[in-house]
Amino acid sequence: MLVQFYNVSKVYPNGVKALNDISLKVDRGEFIFLMGSSGAGKSTLVKMLFREEVPTRGQIFVASRSIVRMKRSEVPQLRRNMGIVFQDFKLLENKTIAENIAFAMKVVGSKSKDIRPRVTEVIQMVGLKGKENSFPGQLSGGEQQRVGIARAIVNRPLLLIADEPSGNLDMDTARDIMDLLYDINRKGTTVVMATHAWELVKNARKRVVTLEAGRILSDIYSPESL
Amino acid sequence: MMNIKNLTYFFREAYTSLSRNRLLSIATVTTMAICILILGAAVLMTINADKFMNRLESDLEIVAFLDSSLSKSQVTDIKGDIEKLSGVKSVIFVSREQALVNLQTKFADKNYDLVKTIGKNPLPDSYEVKAQNPQDVVNLAQQINKMPGIYKVNYGQGVVERLFQVTKWVRIISIGFIVLLTMGAVFLIATTIRLAIFARRKEIYLMKLIGATDWFIRWPFFIEGIMLGSMGSLISILLLSWGYGSLVSSLQTALFFIPLVYQQSLLINIYLSLFATGAILGVLGTYISLNRFLDV
Repeated sequence: MLVQFYNVSKVYPNGVKALNDISLKVDRGEFIFLMGSSGAGKSTLVKMLFREEVPTRGQIFVASRSIVRMKRSEVPQLRRNMGIVFQDFKLLENKTIAENIAFAMKVVGSKSKDIRPRVTEVIQMVGLKGKENSFPGQLSGGEQQRVGIARAIVNRPLLLIADEPSGNLDMDTARDIMDLLYDINRKGTTVVMATHAWELVKNARKRVVTLEAGRILSDIYSPESL
Repeated sequence: MMNIKNLTYFFREAYTSLSRNRLLSIATVTTMAICILILGAAVLMTINADKFMNRLESDLEIVAFLDSSLSKSQVTDIKGDIEKLSGVKSVIFVSREQALVNLQTKFADKNYDLVKTIGKNPLPDSYEVKAQNPQDVVNLAQQINKMPGIYKVNYGQGVVERLFQVTKWVRIISIGFIVLLTMGAVFLIATTIRLAIFARRKEIYLMKLIGATDWFIRWPFFIEGIMLGSMGSLISILLLSWGYGSLVSSLQTALFFIPLVYQQSLLINIYLSLFATGAILGVLGTYISLNRFLDV
């Protein structure tokens, strides 16, 4: 088991109940969709995976380590086992594509001689060869998200977390991004993807966990009728 | 904490950030310079006030008048007794003849003959006693007063106590003022630096989510804070030394009786301390402002 949630609830200081008694397990190598409309609790659940949020009740284990009991100083190590893909890409505008990807390796203390070949490798993997020295502003949305994915996988994470990765993209581009994520999953990385785009999920033949008002509504394999 | 192989990275990041956010950097340096300038001026004023008060206090002395019936050897014995008291710095004998001459010179009119007017010398022999520590004057005076052969003791009763009250409060208030100024400077500098950090909050958030340690994120900002702080304090020190230098040179001729501090070694120490304060304030301001953004 890579991820285990046991009776997890989250109430924010302002009184909003985001999650209510969630129990969930994710196996190594799985690809899992988190479905739900905005406000269903997807974001909170995703943020708990990399411990931006901690539950008010319940227990969470990632790679057999408790996130709840984890010390602040241990959080960086947890996050180095994960790659995160954001809806708004979060690329550094003043750095080139190659620098953006290298940044993620630099931040975790990789050696310069290891960085260059690995960056070249992932740029090729996400299909952006030749764009190394472009700046994010010069790329299309889909290309920018490929950079985001390259940056997320460059440190060879156990778990790839994608929070609405296609939220800012048109449907054709979104499907290309999905193919890239499936590809990464086939090579062994566990992927958790939060989305509300049913069109991307319905024919995926993947596990789909649907949240509604902070509870798990269903946990099925698509395509199945909901 | 600090990794040597990251050192060049930290310095490059700090430099890039400084040159990229030029306007904010200038604002921070200016704030720093003004804060340190005011702080430095307050320190110089305090040191000068302290020197002035020290001089007032060291002028204090005890005059012990002797009974006129004492023999020569008794007078010498009393000197020995006074010298044995703890805290006595010096004991000087002033004969009644000398006392009369001293009194005569206090009158501005050189033609006025005091001796002629009063007929005979009414003044007794006396000892002028100085204390090692001006604070002991009252206590010493009381002890001397109890000695046999002493006719009367004068030490500026009443005035001395009031002087110590005043100097005590001047010292307390000036130190309190400097502490307040320093706190104000920390707050002001932290606020300015927060603006610079706020402009980069997305980058900090991203670094945190990628798995950067807090120290990896902090170092470039600390280096930036030290650079800004040093630059600010350097400007203020230049202004301060120029301003104080011209103040000293103009006052020394016009108002020579005001004892301004002008020893180069002391001034250099003050300026070096201000420089260090600037650098420390830069780091402290950064630390305070940064922590909020690291809490992800």
